Amino acid sequence: MQEYKKISITRDEVVPTAEKMRAAGVALAMIHGFINDEGKPNVSYEYEVGSGIESYTVDGESVLPSIAPIYDLGAEWAERELVELMDITFEGLDTSKRLFMPDNMLDGQGQIIVTPMDELIDKAHGKKGE
Amino acid sequence: MSYIVPIGPYHPALEEPVHARLYTDGEQITDAEVFIGYNHRGIEKLAQQKNFIQTIVLVERVCGICSHSHALGYAMALENIAGMNVPKRGQYIRVIMNELERLHSHFLWLGIALHLIGHDSLFMHTWNEREVIMDMLEEISGNRVNYGMVTIGGSRRDIDDDKRRKILEMLDKVEKSMIRLRDILLSDKTVALRTQGVGVLTTEDSIRIGAVGPHARASNVAVDVRKDAPYCCYEDFEFDKAVYHTCDVFSRVVIRVLENFESIKIIRQALEMLPTGPINLGVKIPKIPAGEYMVRHEAPRGQLCYKVVTDGSEFNKRVSIHVPTFKTAPTIPTMLRGNSVADAGLIVASIDPCFSCMDR
Repeated sequence: MQEYKKISITRDEVVPTAEKMRAAGVALAMIHGFINDEGKPNVSYEYEVGSGIESYTVDGESVLPSIAPIYDLGAEWAERELVELMDITFEGLDTSKRLFMPDNMLDGQGQIIVTPMDELIDKAHGKKGE
Repeated sequence: MSYIVPIGPYHPALEEPVHARLYTDGEQITDAEVFIGYNHRGIEKLAQQKNFIQTIVLVERVCGICSHSHALGYAMALENIAGMNVPKRGQYIRVIMNELERLHSHFLWLGIALHLIGHDSLFMHTWNEREVIMDMLEEISGNRVNYGMVTIGGSRRDIDDDKRRKILEMLDKVEKSMIRLRDILLSDKTVALRTQGVGVLTTEDSIRIGAVGPHARASNVAVDVRKDAPYCCYEDFEFDKAVYHTCDVFSRVVIRVLENFESIKIIRQALEMLPTGPINLGVKIPKIPAGEYMVRHEAPRGQLCYKVVTDGSEFNKRVSIHVPTFKTAPTIPTMLRGNSVADAGLIVASIDPCFSCMDR
């Protein structure tokens, strides 16, 4: 069985944690995001420690430091995707070009995870913003 | 003279929903950018409206090639949240399906690579072998693509003695063909000229960017979830991590050939040691408590991550899917630099991309 351990951290601990993991040769499996019960972002940095996953989670912060300078494109793509799918800003991340969503989708802000389904369907059919 | 060459989405040289911009100096690529999202279907969003059983059907449709991997990743995440112990026979059947899926996926990639290289006779031969595996998957599950073999708590269909005999006979045939194919692929001049020294991703670059699966192993990085973080009883089977060191497109061909032999080895062991007993826990809509879990699975293209969050209801709170292509596609610009425009299609294809899978 693959073990999964969740560890809560603050936004100030994101970069030191990433630096410690990279120095130890630990791979970054993924950065996941979802919305918590208060409607705020919850971002998890999933590191492959041994045969398990250590999930370092920051709850309720919509502005986080980028770890792309530490984990390169492996982190950059994950962060850019989260920017386009959720209402999150990664400080220091180059978001001048789109990665995932087309420029004209949802006024340039993807936020697909936080947008209600019926609103998404309306926008897909061009009923909103016309 | 400098040009920007746009490729795709859906380009004759790259029949995939991805857009790449090649910055060139004459025929040589100096830099490249990749843009994705052209086949986004909102599957993660849809999963938030579905119950657990419906979601298995939904996530199988993320990818037409590794559909079993997606269903398995999702089911394993829920089983871990609920603390379920999946019966061993059910686990072994999952392994057999995983490896059959890997076999047909690798044959598919070898065929596409040979087509792009310009070796169409070998492409047809390769896909002919793939058909044998597809027929067997259909015989086991009733379907060629979305097998519907996974349920929460085990497997949905059994493999009886008759099917077991047929699979073993099929493997003997496929192995013979693989030996012939290996000898041709590793000695053919056309294959060597088009692949050796092309699209190099060094070991350092592979680790720096975080590549996974056969793509990383072809850059001499020994990562394989089946060995590094065993699941589904993979620890019961003897097999090797296929690793190769030339780091070019040729290395990616070699890796798929080697891995096919390892998959055959695993399936044979699983069939020979197939335990008796139930194949699942017999629950239809299981009770899953509130919780979260992330699992990793070695899909044909590499590490597939499923993170599921539940709130105690019968619906998902969040399903987050990250496929191997999301970790291998960022290596494309590095591999393209310094190569010719004519090789761009082959180099992009060499990661065995599934952009639809990545867009989900």
